[in-house]
Amino acid sequence: MVKKKGKSFVWQAARKHIGLLLSYIALAFVFDQIVIIGNDTIAKAADQILAGQKIALGDLMKTLMTMAFAGAAAAFGKSFCSGKYNAIVQKDVKAGLCRHILVLPLEYFEKSGSGGLMTRLSSDMNEVGRFFSEILPTFLINLITVITVTFYLAKMDILLIVILFASYPLMLIVADRLSKRLAKIVKGFRSRMDDRTQAAYDAIQGITVGRSYNLYDIMKKRLDAIIDDIAVHGWKSTRISSLGWSLKSIITTIPVVGCYFFALHETLIGRITTGEMLAFTVLLGRILSPIGDVVFSMNEFREIGVAFERIQTIFAVQTETGEDAAATIDRTFSQRNIPETDLAVSWENVTFSYQAQHPILKGVSFTAKRGETIAFAGGSGEGKSTIMKLLCGFYPKSSGSFRLFGKEYEAWDIQEARACISLVSQNVFLFPVSVWENVAYGKEHATREEVIEACKNANIHAFIERLPQGYDTLVGERGVRLSGGERQRISIARAFLKDAPILLLDEPTASVDEETEELLQEAIARVSKGRTVLIVAHRLSTIAKADCIYVLKQGVIAEAGGHEELLERHGVYENLMQCGMQNMVHNTEGSSV
Amino acid sequence: MKKQYSTFIWFMGLMGKRLPLYLAAVLVSTLGLAFERIANARIVEAIVSAAQTREAQGLLWSVAITFILFVIARFIWRFGIIHYNIEARRGVATLEKLVFSKAMRLPYAYYEQHHSADFMSRLTFDTERAGDIYSSRLRRLLAAVISSAVYLVPMFCYSWQLTLCLLGVSILSLTVNTLFTTPMKKVGTKLSKQHSVMLEKLTNILAGMELIKVFPMGKTMWADYSASNEAYYGTQVRSAKLTAALESLNALFDLTGALAFLGLGISFISQNRINLGQLTAIYTLYGSFRYVFLEIGLYLPQMMNCIANAERLHAFLQLEEETDHIFQEPNKPEQGYAVTVDNLSFSYEEALPGQKNLLEHLSFKIKENSFVALTGESGCGKSTLTKLLLGFYEPKEGQICICGKDYRGCSKKEIRDMIAYVPQEPYLYGVSIAENIAYGRSAASPEDVPMEDIIAAAKAANAHDFIMELPKGYQTVAGERGNTLSGGEKQRIALARAVLKNAPVLLLDEATSALDSESEKLVNEAIKKVCQNHTTIMIAHRSSTIAMADEVIAIG
Repeated sequence: MVKKKGKSFVWQAARKHIGLLLSYIALAFVFDQIVIIGNDTIAKAADQILAGQKIALGDLMKTLMTMAFAGAAAAFGKSFCSGKYNAIVQKDVKAGLCRHILVLPLEYFEKSGSGGLMTRLSSDMNEVGRFFSEILPTFLINLITVITVTFYLAKMDILLIVILFASYPLMLIVADRLSKRLAKIVKGFRSRMDDRTQAAYDAIQGITVGRSYNLYDIMKKRLDAIIDDIAVHGWKSTRISSLGWSLKSIITTIPVVGCYFFALHETLIGRITTGEMLAFTVLLGRILSPIGDVVFSMNEFREIGVAFERIQTIFAVQTETGEDAAATIDRTFSQRNIPETDLAVSWENVTFSYQAQHPILKGVSFTAKRGETIAFAGGSGEGKSTIMKLLCGFYPKSSGSFRLFGKEYEAWDIQEARACISLVSQNVFLFPVSVWENVAYGKEHATREEVIEACKNANIHAFIERLPQGYDTLVGERGVRLSGGERQRISIARAFLKDAPILLLDEPTASVDEETEELLQEAIARVSKGRTVLIVAHRLSTIAKADCIYVLKQGVIAEAGGHEELLERHGVYENLMQCGMQNMVHNTEGSSV
Repeated sequence: MKKQYSTFIWFMGLMGKRLPLYLAAVLVSTLGLAFERIANARIVEAIVSAAQTREAQGLLWSVAITFILFVIARFIWRFGIIHYNIEARRGVATLEKLVFSKAMRLPYAYYEQHHSADFMSRLTFDTERAGDIYSSRLRRLLAAVISSAVYLVPMFCYSWQLTLCLLGVSILSLTVNTLFTTPMKKVGTKLSKQHSVMLEKLTNILAGMELIKVFPMGKTMWADYSASNEAYYGTQVRSAKLTAALESLNALFDLTGALAFLGLGISFISQNRINLGQLTAIYTLYGSFRYVFLEIGLYLPQMMNCIANAERLHAFLQLEEETDHIFQEPNKPEQGYAVTVDNLSFSYEEALPGQKNLLEHLSFKIKENSFVALTGESGCGKSTLTKLLLGFYEPKEGQICICGKDYRGCSKKEIRDMIAYVPQEPYLYGVSIAENIAYGRSAASPEDVPMEDIIAAAKAANAHDFIMELPKGYQTVAGERGNTLSGGEKQRIALARAVLKNAPVLLLDEATSALDSESEKLVNEAIKKVCQNHTTIMIAHRSSTIAMADEVIAIG
């Protein structure tokens, strides 16, 4: 049913709140008893009336009303317990999932789409909820009923039990077979749901392209095919589950009828009275349905097991730190533990590949001393951005040595290492919250003054003040749209606020127009002061001032040195610069048009 | 209540011609189950009476026959339930398709104002919950109603007066139950909204993962998610309380209903309106009736909860779609120009008096097959102009013409067919590179676009060589964020798409701004190749790109 039971996070959450489940069982038991006794009382009274006898209606009313209210209270309690149990387990699992997702290696997200994660947190979570609010309680109640009734019956005659459970092996086999087939279909069903979410998300995210290329029909066809496939999976699973229920009802009924005949035989030979026989049929009637349900719950268990497994696969991915997610996220990390050394970053022969056959970095060595600015130049796909990813610890290097402040990167606590680093990247992502919050993310508990100070330093304060709601203006997915340069400066403000000794700039001036480039360059110069700066850029103006330029060519460093020095060498760098120069020449021609 | 009713009618109407089939399947499965129960009861009855009369002759045969009927009834049920499920799934699929189709056809402004999680929540959470009406809620309710009727008919035959009284008591309890529908629905709506908020937080986390890792944001993000998680939990608990109250009320009615029967029975007997035999019969039937009738009380509010989701979908499906504003008599534009913009004014919000529009009385003409650079300060409306050219927004004033056609005389599709657009941030869909390029020819389905054409377009866009170096070549699936490809590579694929489209006007929105010099060179080369026999409009602020243009138009 549910594999990795010991490790499963869902089960941990379920165990933690087991009290609610136990209260549910207790209350459900009480409720059942009240209903049975109440109905018995009424049946007896009815019998008396039907027999023409007088009954004490007043007394009867009193007992029945008491019972009614006790029953109502028990019903409330049991229903509330199961509802709350479902809600609280869901809450815990969701919180745990979100926390775990936050500390997973970046690699995970680049491999698996967000569609899968979204369905897991909504649709699969719903299934888990259904399990804890409906399936598990029903199963337990059925199990208890079956056990208690079996005891009663065993007291009457042990042979009855043998007859009753004779069909169990057959039922187990049938249920096992069917539920396995069912689980397979459900797995396909769920993974198609992921595809659906992914395809829809893809279409919404790419709406600009979709619209300008009239892709409506293509997108619709893509999604419709998946939706139809989901429906087909649904039909297939109904075929199997309905067959399961049918077989269950037939297989359980046969031995029960057998029991009736046995009881009849016992009555006819006078071993039991007719009254006992009646009591016996009533008892059997009560377990007729639960006895099969207990076994055939396997169908549902396996079905839900798929959802459990899918959720568990996320928890099964190791966190970046290798530690528990809760521990990782709650820790505050500081820059206090930076070793006293002059060497900020040093790489020796570092190699890296996403896929074994396609190495990206084939042995890269460089050093950056404290306060130095070094730059990486090279064409697209030569490995510049990969260096940045390795520096941020998004991917582990394949071999070689990578030291941060003299200490091997692997020996660092990843979060502490990142505490030493600020990143200003090419495509700045803004969260759909206020400008203020977007900057404040740079530092825990940042004050308004600090944020404003940072924005002033990043040459963006004046711009923000001009926005409709100033610092409280919403940006991002549905807020005010900002230009590349404005986003860049916001991200520089964030870097100011973080105040880390090492600054990574990944093509910071790429998508910026020339008027605002000056503002940005000024901000970069200011934020670079007193920091070790590693920069990836293709704009001459940004690179030229670096203390050392490393030119990448096919995953190795082809040349290294200062700007002038490299130009004199007439190598790769000069070539690169000529491309740039050509553009510059065009530039002057362009303005003369 | 009336609104819920009309929502429900609308919702069932979505099934169209299949609705009768669906309802018939519900009926068949319900009856199948009822017959099975009757057969089962007959078996027990036969054996018990044999014990009482001590007469067991022919018993085996009659039990065997009843058992066969029992099995048949069960398979009738299965037949019904399978068809019911097929129809229900079909209904859910129709619903999902409608919602998605709507999500793709809204005015462009809607996408700029709403978070993508908003759409996702409708498509996953709301359709799933509303779909429950088809796939379980309605059947349960109908089954309860049908079985109640099955019991009521013979009861009426025995004594209509007593039955009427009993029915009155039951309806009274049902009415009390319906008091729960409004709060239940409210809770349902709230849950749906809160779910959407949670999904939004999650998508933000996923999208901003790199930043979250580098900056100390993990804790904040988690706290933020936890807060909405707690809120959702709070509403769920509230919903649990309501359900519990409902169940407890029903438990109360269960016993009081029996009491009512006793009281009424005694008074009817004493008045000689009914005899003992009739009372016995009614008593047996009433026991079963009460049980199924209480189910109505339980399932009705639950269904209301789902109707709340259906209502949300209904509202979503009512949203106005992007429409073609076609005027009967468009102006006759000057010929020989690819694009003419005349006296164009536009702003996103209603301009306040005295405030200037974002674009104010803009006019320019672009000759056929020329290469034009549009320049201007950041924030001057260059990108807005692109959106107007693509027909994403309607101009407030003035006229745009493309290839000798007034926009006001064209459908959006016609306009867009004439433009091959390359956005600043290229978007690659999560399909193969070949398919991504093939999307350029939207009239054909991607499989039908010949591979040679795709390769030719990729070659023209200087993308062929690097694509061939990828492990799976053209069949490489672009990752969710196209992560395996660099910005320059993605841009060239986007360009190949535009090349394949072969539209008269090529519109490039800062297409090379984020590229390194080598990629820029490759892209620029490609653009030069493509622009030979097309009109090219390039939004640019880089002098190097402006340099390629025949003409520069400054905006603002």
